[in-house]
Amino acid sequence: MPEAAIRTEALVKDYGTARGLDGLDLEVLTGEVFGFLGPNGAGKTTAIRLFVDLIRPTSGEATVLGLDPRSDGVELRRRLGYLPGDFVVDGRQSGRELLTYLANLRGRVAATRIDDLAERLGLDTTREVKTLSRGNRQKIGVIQAFMHEPELLVLDEPTSGLDPFLQAEFVAMAREVAAEGRTVFMSSHVMSEVQRCADRVGVIRAGRLVTVESIHELGQRSARHVEVLFAAPVPAEDFAGVSGLRDVAVAGSRLTCRLDGPADELLKAIAAHPVITITAEEPDLTDVFFESFDIGRDDAG
Amino acid sequence: MLADSFTKWLWDRRRSIATWTVAVAAVGGFYAAFWPTIDSPDMRDAIENYPSGLLEALNYTDIATPSGYLSATVYGLVVAALVIVYSVSAGARLVAGDEEAGTLDLVLAHPLSRSRLALQRYAALVVSLVTISSGLLVVIVALVKPFDLTGISFGDLLAMHVHLVLFGMVFGAMAYAAGAATGRRAPAVGGGALLAVFGFAANGILPQVDGLEWIDRLSPFAWLNGGAPLQNGLQIVDLSIMVVLVVVLVATGTVAFERRDVSV
Ligand SMILES: Nc1ncnc2c1ncn2[C@@H]1O[C@H](COP(=O)(O)OP(=O)(O)OP(=O)(O)O)[C@@H](O)[C@H]1O
Ligand SMILES: [Mg+2]
Repeated sequence: MPEAAIRTEALVKDYGTARGLDGLDLEVLTGEVFGFLGPNGAGKTTAIRLFVDLIRPTSGEATVLGLDPRSDGVELRRRLGYLPGDFVVDGRQSGRELLTYLANLRGRVAATRIDDLAERLGLDTTREVKTLSRGNRQKIGVIQAFMHEPELLVLDEPTSGLDPFLQAEFVAMAREVAAEGRTVFMSSHVMSEVQRCADRVGVIRAGRLVTVESIHELGQRSARHVEVLFAAPVPAEDFAGVSGLRDVAVAGSRLTCRLDGPADELLKAIAAHPVITITAEEPDLTDVFFESFDIGRDDAG
Repeated sequence: MLADSFTKWLWDRRRSIATWTVAVAAVGGFYAAFWPTIDSPDMRDAIENYPSGLLEALNYTDIATPSGYLSATVYGLVVAALVIVYSVSAGARLVAGDEEAGTLDLVLAHPLSRSRLALQRYAALVVSLVTISSGLLVVIVALVKPFDLTGISFGDLLAMHVHLVLFGMVFGAMAYAAGAATGRRAPAVGGGALLAVFGFAANGILPQVDGLEWIDRLSPFAWLNGGAPLQNGLQIVDLSIMVVLVVVLVATGTVAFERRDVSV
């Protein structure tokens, strides 16, 4: 098993008025994309800011990239990229000015890296930040977190404000990081976002880790919605005996159903008739996830 | 250009620093240009008839010479007030302003320590004070001939400006320290304002109370102007007091900043 990129033990953060973390035990492996899922006020931002040494724990321990954020903060921050949950910067500067400054604080950032990322995300870096839309501002945040190719990316709700196209681009970028053996730790409210991107997902609630699951295994356990349009009407009985199939409905030449498990048997039953179109949706893991763990859907939007 | 937080701070505030430089030079120059009006027999008579307590409270005792006039009105009052306003507001912004705006998080997630960031910014504030003071110096030197500001040596003028910069550094350090320790601008500005009010009272009014004469020694205005650097050159004791105070304030604020949580 690879060494952990982030490990916490009984991490507690008491704000005095409220408890941010209440004994967090977490392990994020090197080279994975880890989704950190939880409702508002669960402690996601608190954990992330502890990792970057912006705040200090009340008790417990956190080790990030093998370092103690408190004593090795500078060395640690050299090796990680951070995107704050609320990305605000002084508006009276251009994107390029800001990114150049941040790159200079880091030391080595290849000159073309900023341009490449800006082009990839479709950001005009010559414009003043205050004239940019929220999503375009968020792009600057994403670029500054990725530009120095850090070993670990700690991202607080990275896709907030990004349109679906850019969310997809972000997913691709995160996957590339993991493919290079680097690590991504990202927080989110919604499972559907995390599932496209993450290898594993951890759920935090009221400052504690409730569960950690592999997205791959969850996917195998969850039902997919399948819809088939045939050239001619089909008899419903043909699909009655297919294993793993639920909610079978045939309306003339259209079959809709939910498939839980391997698709082989269903495909063979379908193949007995001339097919015009077939759609099988990616399962929404939200349901299976919250059903299996009885966490309650309200908790995670 | 934007190599570190020192140059970045100056660059981001280039317009503000330029404006302040022009404003301080303009206001200081304007007052200096009034000297020929003051230097008339009528005015001298008028001043001699003032109650001596009032003259002392206003530091106008030596107002009948060009250096005394500049010292009392320009450096001791108008420019001092402007420098306080600039230093306190800029000092409060070094850490606290940035933090309240929510923009400190990002920079502190980079590989530099909090002390380094904070000290670089305080150093940038000092540079901005030197810039502002230099603008005034140039204007005063230019006005010496046309407005008969005779009997002031350039060395003493420089000494006055050294005192002025340190005076600003004290107020900047006060606001910086309170802001760095709390992360909020209100205590930072409040701390600076309190020091200004106390300093003003301790310099002019309070010493007239019997038994409180000594309190003048605790006033930044006394460290600025009490030894009349414009007539007597550098006042080593006053400068030392200011340097020590700056070091203590900056160190205290920085240590507190290193230890606490950064708020979002
Ligand atoms: N500076 C602070 N002072 C006091 N309480 C705080 C502070 N920051 C966070 N908290 C509290 O700590 C708890 C966790 O907050 P945190 O911001 O970590 O949640 P989150 O999971 O990031 O929520 P969201 O999804 O809304 O971003 C909340 O109850 C919050 O009110
Ligand atoms: Mg949050």
